[in-house]
This record gives sequence, structure tokens and C-alpha cells, in this order.
Amino acid sequence: MIIALVIIGFVFLVGIFFYNSLIGKKNQVTNAFSAIDVMLKKRFDLIPNLVEVVKQYTTYEQGTLTKIVELRSKAGSPNISNAEKADLDAQLSSNIKGLMVNIENYPGLKANTNFINLQTTWTESEEQIAAARRAYNASVTDYNNSIMMFPGSLFAGMLNFQAIAVLETAAEERNNINAKELFNH
Amino acid sequence: MLSDTANNVALQQVLAKMEVTRKRIAATQTKGYIFIAAGILLGILGFILGFPLAGIISGLIPLIYGGILLFNINDALTAYQNAYKTNVIGAALKFLDESLSIKPEQGIEASEFMYTQLFSTEPDRYKTEDLVSGSADKTRFYFAEVHAEYKTVTQTKNETRTEWHDIFRGIIFAADFNKKFNGVTLVRPKDFGAAFGAWFSKNLFSFGRNQAIQLENVTFDKTFVTYGSDQVESRYILTPALMERILSLNHQAKYTISLSFIESRMYIAFPLNRNYFEAPVFKSLLNPETVDQDISTIKFMYDIVKELDLNTRIWGKD
Repeated sequence: MIIALVIIGFVFLVGIFFYNSLIGKKNQVTNAFSAIDVMLKKRFDLIPNLVEVVKQYTTYEQGTLTKIVELRSKAGSPNISNAEKADLDAQLSSNIKGLMVNIENYPGLKANTNFINLQTTWTESEEQIAAARRAYNASVTDYNNSIMMFPGSLFAGMLNFQAIAVLETAAEERNNINAKELFNH
Repeated sequence: MLSDTANNVALQQVLAKMEVTRKRIAATQTKGYIFIAAGILLGILGFILGFPLAGIISGLIPLIYGGILLFNINDALTAYQNAYKTNVIGAALKFLDESLSIKPEQGIEASEFMYTQLFSTEPDRYKTEDLVSGSADKTRFYFAEVHAEYKTVTQTKNETRTEWHDIFRGIIFAADFNKKFNGVTLVRPKDFGAAFGAWFSKNLFSFGRNQAIQLENVTFDKTFVTYGSDQVESRYILTPALMERILSLNHQAKYTISLSFIESRMYIAFPLNRNYFEAPVFKSLLNPETVDQDISTIKFMYDIVKELDLNTRIWGKD
């Protein structure tokens, strides 16, 4: 009788421990995602300044600039999903990249201190977003491992914990040199 | 490297001049040791043959003479060793890069040693020397030899025994890092204790402010354990590219290195088991191998900046 009680008590305690640890890991995932969000917002906030500076010097990039402003205002609207936000960011990045390549044609702009500052801040934000995404993926992997591996898998099944997909990293984000190449084209 | 030293005319001239001093010191030291040995031998012989008093007296004379010889040459030896550091190592440094210089009597202070956070034990005995500083392109760096020890005292019935143990012996290298950051990131060799500690802090309970950071580079994660005050910031510092570079640097070092990133500065600890920049007494200075070993150490340290790509400044830090 006493032995049975001890065993039940032990199983109960182990259950609590695994449950808490899973909740902790799940919260870590949410937390890691919000870090990406903060970094993205920081990057989106750079865009108006960047557009202002570029506008003064360029004549033929109006189309790209309008597109960038449009994407930025979409990304800034409050009720969009995380996936949409990530997608908008990808589009913005590729547009800005295209713009940076063309900047070669405007020596005045290339020498502008304001613009150079924006460039460095932009590369910095790229690297920070990449870091935040990697941190997110690490916590997702950690969480997924603990719900898929025994004995966590037992509790996860009972309590309906689901695996989360990791973010695919764009090939160019894997290498920090690319950011430099982008500007020193 | 061999050809570098052989072709450096200024260095060869310095070496040739110092070789004369070295020979004189070596000869005197040999003579001193021979006299001491002869003195001891005479003393023993006296005892064996049954004339202990005569043995002691006749043995004492060469013994004292040998001691005086060694004592007298000691100042010359110190001067020679300092000259080696300033002239030979100094010239080799200048040859590599004009900005480099050596201060033999300076080093990295014990407070800075603890500031790196790579070592948790406070040293009871701390020695440091041979501070080399300068810059490689935009990046300022310095390194010095450090020997830090702690002591254990064991009480037995009759005596207290003090034993000294190494905390660290080797070179501490510091350089400006090319990114701005506020927190702390520590990269330590992964041994059993460290691996268990990291597992414990990740899964059960984390001590202090630093959390274990699991990185996606499998080889890196197998070689090192990483702790940081901020998961994102540590990854901002340890990019996939930098992790690869650290691994390749580690591959060139004899023992696993440790790194810490604190207040926009990077520290690397290289454990070593020999003294660097010590002038040889019984080995010729003109033998290229003697100096080459020291020069390759300097070159290795100098190349870290290039190896870790610290001169790329595109992240808003000059």
C-alpha cells in the first residue's frame, strides 16, 4: 500500500517536472519569436530615413522607392500575422538589395555620411535579425526535441503539445560577408 | 619563417653580437658548475678515504669559487635575457609590423585576468610578463604571458604542506571586437564537467546571469560550451562564419582555447606549457630554429586578427 502510494507520488512529481519544463520551453519559443519581431521593427524604422536620403540623389529609382514605402506601411499595420510579416520583410530586403546595387551609379549618395550611417545600421540589423532567427530556431529545436523524445513524448502526447516548424534561413543570411559585398558592390 | 629570419639583416646583426655574450655566459656557467661539482666530489672523497676535515676544506674552496662565478655572471645573464627580448624579439616585431612593441616587464594584470571571466578561481600567485601590443590594420590588440596558480594547504600531524596548482599557464590575447555589444559571451573548452554544467543549466537550473547557448554548428558545440547573458546577442557575435574561424584557429593551437567577449572586446586564452621569449644560454642564437619558434608565436598572434576577420567594420563600430 505504502509502496504503491510512493510510486504514484513519484510519477506525479515527474509529471509535474516534465510539464513545467515543456511549458518553460514553449514560452522560450514565444520569447525568441518576439526578439525577431523587435529586430524587424528596428529595421522597418530605418526605411523612411533611407528613402528620404536616397530620394535626394537619385532620379531613376522612384519606382523601387514607392514599392519600398508601400511594403513598409503594410509591415507596420497592426493586424498582420507573423508569417505575413516575415514575407514582407523578405520582399523588402530584396528590394533594398536591388536599390543598393544601383547606388553605384550615384557617387554623391555613396559619399553622403547620413547614407553611410544608414548602410551600417542596415547591415547591423541584418546580422541581428539573423541572430534572432537562429536563437528562435535553437529554442524551437530544443522544444521539439523534448516533446518528441522519451519520456517527454508520453506527456506531450497526453497534453497535446505540438511540434513547431523552424524558420528556413535564406542562403545569403548564412554568411555575414554577403552584407559587405552587397554594399561594396 | 626560416627564410624570414635568415633574410632579415638587422636581426642577423643583433643576433651575431648577442651570440658573443651568450658564449661568454655559457662558458662561465659551465666553469662554475664544474668547480661546484669538483668541490662536492673532493668532500665526498675526503670522507671515503678517512680524512673528513681535509676533504671539507679542500672541497669548500672550489665550491665557493664556482658559486662566486655563477653569482657574478647572474647580472650579465639578466641583462642578456632582457636584451634578447628588447632587441631580438623587438626587431622581429617591427619587422612584422611597425606598430608592434614589447615591454618585457609588463603584462596583463591579475584584475584583467579575472575580468575575462574565463577563470573562476582567484589566483594566489600570479606572474605575468612580456606584454606585446600594437595593431593589425584597424584592430588594436595585445597579449602577454600569464601564469596563475592557486594553493592548497593540507595539515598533517607534524607539518602543513602547501601545494601549488595551475589555474592557467599560457598566453592571454585581447583585441577590439568589430561589433558593439553590451553583454557577456563565454566560449570554453568542453570537458565532462563543462558539458554536464551546460546540460544542467539548460534543463534544470541556471546559476548566475549566464545561460548555456546551444549553437547550430555541431563541431563547434562538440569542442566548446558557450554561455551568454543574451541568447540573441551571443549569436550576433558568434555568426556561423566566426564559429568556423574560431574552430580553425583552435585547430592550429596545441590545447583547446577559451574565448570571452566582454564590452566590445575579445579575449582568447591559449594554454601553453613552455615559456616564450626566453633567451637560450646553451643553444646557439644563430641556429634559426631558436628564434623561429618565438617568431612564429608572434606571427600566430598577429594573424588572429586576420583569421577572425576583425578588420571588417561594417556593423557601426570603428
